[in-house]
Amino acid sequence: MDYLVAILLPQLLHGLVFGAALGLLALGLTVIFGLLGVMNFAHGELYMLGAYAGIAVIGVTQSFWVALVVAPLLVGVVGAVTEVATLRPLYRREPLYGLILTFGLALVFREAVRQIWGGDMRRILPPITGSTPLLGMTYPNYRLFLLGASSVLLLAIWLFFTQTRAGIVVRAAVQDAEMLDGLGVDVRRVFTLTFAGSAALAALAGLLLAPVFTVYPQMGVEMILLAFIVVILGGMGSMGGSVVAAVVIGLTQSLFSLWMNPQRVAIAIFGIMIVVLVVRPRGFFGREGVLE
Amino acid sequence: MSRVSSWRGALVLAALVALPALPFMSKFYLLLAFDALLFGAIAMSLDLLIGYTGLVSFGHAAFFGLGAYSTAILLERGVVSLWACLGFAVLVVGLYALLVSYFATARRGIYFALLTLVFAEVVYTFFRYTQTFGGSDGIQGVPPAQLVPGVAIDTPLANYYAVIVYLALAYALCRVLVTSHFGKVLVAIRENEDRARFLGYNVQRYKMAVCMISALLTGVGGALYPGRSAFATPDLMLWTVSGEFIIMVMIGGLGTLGGPIIGGAFFVLLQEQVSSYVDWYFMVIGLVLVFIVLFMPRGLLGFRRMLGFGQWRATA
Repeated sequence: MDYLVAILLPQLLHGLVFGAALGLLALGLTVIFGLLGVMNFAHGELYMLGAYAGIAVIGVTQSFWVALVVAPLLVGVVGAVTEVATLRPLYRREPLYGLILTFGLALVFREAVRQIWGGDMRRILPPITGSTPLLGMTYPNYRLFLLGASSVLLLAIWLFFTQTRAGIVVRAAVQDAEMLDGLGVDVRRVFTLTFAGSAALAALAGLLLAPVFTVYPQMGVEMILLAFIVVILGGMGSMGGSVVAAVVIGLTQSLFSLWMNPQRVAIAIFGIMIVVLVVRPRGFFGREGVLE
Repeated sequence: MSRVSSWRGALVLAALVALPALPFMSKFYLLLAFDALLFGAIAMSLDLLIGYTGLVSFGHAAFFGLGAYSTAILLERGVVSLWACLGFAVLVVGLYALLVSYFATARRGIYFALLTLVFAEVVYTFFRYTQTFGGSDGIQGVPPAQLVPGVAIDTPLANYYAVIVYLALAYALCRVLVTSHFGKVLVAIRENEDRARFLGYNVQRYKMAVCMISALLTGVGGALYPGRSAFATPDLMLWTVSGEFIIMVMIGGLGTLGGPIIGGAFFVLLQEQVSSYVDWYFMVIGLVLVFIVLFMPRGLLGFRRMLGFGQWRATA
């Protein structure tokens, strides 16, 4: 019982918190993948840009909350400009070019941040301090806020995609962009706005997780691999699958690190992914024929 | 293969062999030339997959790194024969490549890229955290390999010639492969996998074969690396290194073999040149890559050639 409360429960909560934030990151990735057929290698850098934009805004306004609104908007603009300038000319080409292009963009973003802010590790102080007694243990308030915020955001995104006209248009574009174009929707604008939205989501995840982790130019490189695994596990292009897989990965990671050296956990997660891909090649919820 | 191009190949080879005779070829430039040709050869073997078969491997750094570790492990333990090192590297890389290619070639497109990436990350993580092999420091300060007992490949010049031999043999092998029936089937798979299957070809077997060949060529290249650097570190197999290999292929031009050699050499020289002036060379490389994808998708050589066996070959 003591073991349960003192070790297992906090670790489970850690996993849930991390999984929810990872879900935000993976969601943007999977929507872009469904829409443009491009595995966005720069997504991790947008996540990283979110944290640094947050540092900049906090530096000016001294407020984490202002940053939480302004930083994702800034990164969203960066995303929109990037999409128009570099991805739009590639629509009619093979997805391979988009993959390689975003790899190049990732290098540019990472180096730009290193030049502006330096390569050192930085911290953002949690805006909420203290901890709450919960189920016989105490848990940091900021992490509870993180869990709540991520869940509300995920719910909002779900409502957006199911209840609003804009969300339905995006889903239609994922299904069949050409048909949507034929129905008179400006598909290029849909693509650009969706990319901007996905960038803003990644930035939001970056800034939300920043007080828990550290901020440094390479931070996206490690996260993006996990996000890729989440997207594959969930099934390419399946939004619900991504969220489920993100929580599964988050829980797995934190539970395994109870019994294993944390570095071995990475191998275990890769192993799980390989097994899933062999047994269920399309992931948890993947549909047949998505970019095969 | 036309007589003209084999003459041209022989000329390039002769020029490369004569290169060290130039007065300004110091030790530093020889090592730079070694890197340029080594990574050129690796990019060329990756081109077999990307350019000819249409399979984007994001895990070639693991083949490279495993080759380097194989050599370094043997050299560190006192086995200094070059042939033993190469044989061991072929064995290790071959076994690993068999596993990867079996699972990865069962899937198409993006899945292939991501599966190779994840397998490579497993290898990276293993070496990064295994203290027997030096952990994150890797294996440092290994002695040079010996061609025959008593004759060590211990100078930059000797290493340079070793890499030329490797490059020439690898190029000849790749050239024969892509002009053979086997190569034509690979292009058919790239153009339309289902049609190739309906024609009766066992597509997965062809894909596995070309994966293995590409992986082994890359692994042998990796096995030569500790001779030049005296180390093997986990950073050699970071997934971004795989990305750099792809960049080299793209810069040179997909499906040309010669192009990626130039692309690899260009990349190494660019990195060297830019990094000696500014410390933000990754930004330059990223911008070059974006520029190439947007404005010259066929790469440096591709301006003249169509992808693979397009019109250019038909008229040649």
